[in-house]
Amino acid sequence: MTASQLIARQSLAGLARDRSVLILTTFFAAMVLVTAWLGWSATNTVNAIYADAAQYLTASAQPVPPNPVSQSAPLAVLRNLGVYISLIGAFGAIVIGQLLIEIDRRAGTLPLIGARPFDRRDFTFGKMRALVTVTGAMMAIAGVISVATLFTIPSLVLGLSDLLHLALFLVAGWAYITIFGFMALGAAARMSATAGGLIAATVVWLVVTFVLPELTANVHPTAAINPVSTLAGTPDSGFFHLMSWVLGPFSLAEGFAWASGDLLSFLPDGLAPRGPVPPAVTLPVALILAGLFAVRSVAKLDLNAGGPDV
Amino acid sequence: MSELLPSLSGNVATIALRDAREQLRDRFLFWATLALLAAATASLVTGAIALHGDAATYAAARAQLLALGKDASAIAAPEFYPLKLMRGMIEQIEIMGAVIALVAGYRAAAAERGRQTLALVLTRPMPRWAYSFAKIIGGMGLAAVTLAIVFLATAILLPVVSGVGLTMGDAGRLMLTWAAGVLYLTALFTLGFGLGLWARSPASGLIYAFALWILVVLVAPQIGDTMDPDNQVAGGVFAQLSVPKAEQDRIKAGFAGYESFRNGIEVASVTKHFERFTFAVLGIKDTYTGAPLVKVMAEKQGDLLFLFLFSLGLGGLVLLRPINPDRLTKES
Repeated sequence: MTASQLIARQSLAGLARDRSVLILTTFFAAMVLVTAWLGWSATNTVNAIYADAAQYLTASAQPVPPNPVSQSAPLAVLRNLGVYISLIGAFGAIVIGQLLIEIDRRAGTLPLIGARPFDRRDFTFGKMRALVTVTGAMMAIAGVISVATLFTIPSLVLGLSDLLHLALFLVAGWAYITIFGFMALGAAARMSATAGGLIAATVVWLVVTFVLPELTANVHPTAAINPVSTLAGTPDSGFFHLMSWVLGPFSLAEGFAWASGDLLSFLPDGLAPRGPVPPAVTLPVALILAGLFAVRSVAKLDLNAGGPDV
Repeated sequence: MSELLPSLSGNVATIALRDAREQLRDRFLFWATLALLAAATASLVTGAIALHGDAATYAAARAQLLALGKDASAIAAPEFYPLKLMRGMIEQIEIMGAVIALVAGYRAAAAERGRQTLALVLTRPMPRWAYSFAKIIGGMGLAAVTLAIVFLATAILLPVVSGVGLTMGDAGRLMLTWAAGVLYLTALFTLGFGLGLWARSPASGLIYAFALWILVVLVAPQIGDTMDPDNQVAGGVFAQLSVPKAEQDRIKAGFAGYESFRNGIEVASVTKHFERFTFAVLGIKDTYTGAPLVKVMAEKQGDLLFLFLFSLGLGGLVLLRPINPDRLTKES
């Protein structure tokens, strides 16, 4: 076993002992479980409303518009999953990133690890490996639950292409939450105050989720966490076009929402991603940058700072 | 007893004032206020720009109709109610304000545990609930000052961005919204403080507080919002189907059970009660736009009562739950 694997294993053991990680993962799994039902129930209600309205319009000799809810895309019932990944999944990754440093700091084991014959690079990659493993496990849980619930809804017929799209969506979700996990890991390494990294990464996440969408497209915070409302076009104004162009590549939450709509087949026709760079580019670039931030920060971590006595 | 009360109130005031001084000294209040102010200003300005865009679109469409010799009343003119522009700002208080209050509450507990001063404070001749009460009063003061600055800036900015001056009635509505905001943020401060005090380590308390914040502030209202059929279709399902209002009501009546369930999930969240009350007071919800305050208060007193009872219940829980002697330091 390499030194980085050893560090990763020790970190994972520490996370497994922490109750908050278990609570957050259970909460995330529970929300994934209800996602398919939420989507299915809401779609059924709109279909029933449409049937009622169509009856009325036919009886009053008015033209009947097409059903606004497409019934052909079975994955669309999972549209809430992207929201829960960007809320609970991202927050879970932030907590894990923080705890990967905080647990050792709190237990006073950081100076002991520093005394072992490890290269600092092994320590850094060990911590990152642990983070990537847990976020990957979270997405794997989401995938298994999603597939199981999709197969329990009788009216849905899933094809191989649907499963492939779902897998791609989960990879995008993994990249999205790992970005915030790396940020929290790096911030926790740089800030020795208790919960400093947690608070710093949460502030960045809040700005990305709730402030940037207002600036790029006047999407209010409540709409920003609604899978349909957040997929609004940029308002026809010079200000929003400029802000969308400038801030679009940084508006990762909007980028992930667009990718979710595209992969799960509920993207409104003709809706372009915000800004000049598509999420297929911005998300991987953000992941690499966040990873580099974590590498630099953990490499500079002061193993003697903080701890239970400070 | 008569001698005990002035001494108790003196102790409470001392702890609350010391907390306020501490918050000012480490500039947390400054940065929190600045962050909320920036988010609120961004909401107001983007809302105003979007409204101006709507007005320009309307003016162009109207001019086109008139040029064609048609009746311009066929298209509805956009309505200008400056307080309606506060929608995004209220939502920022609901979400970002709540996070700031939780972190402030956590800090109020963590600072004492981190410096090991909690044990020292409790050796003084005062009941333990008085200590928690002082902390909550300090948190309420923090929320009141932060929101007062944000609302004052809003009152100055609103006439500038909307081009419509505020009336005395509008100022009264702003004050009522501020008071509801103080109540809401105090409840969240109390939650952060209580969990920071009770958890094995304050950091775990903050994680639990954030998890509850996601559930109560974001997920519960989000489920209700997502289940709303009108939010399943861009622009609203009834608007897309061009069904008249009377027919909409008839169709909706057929889904009363579904609607009750959806509403039940929404009203389990204190955030939704805060939102419904403030949206009605400020006229953000169309059915209350321009409605007299007396009518709004009569119809929305249930939401205000829930907000009050929730804060009171949470405060009572924190005051009555004994402080565990094993939780007096940062690590236990």
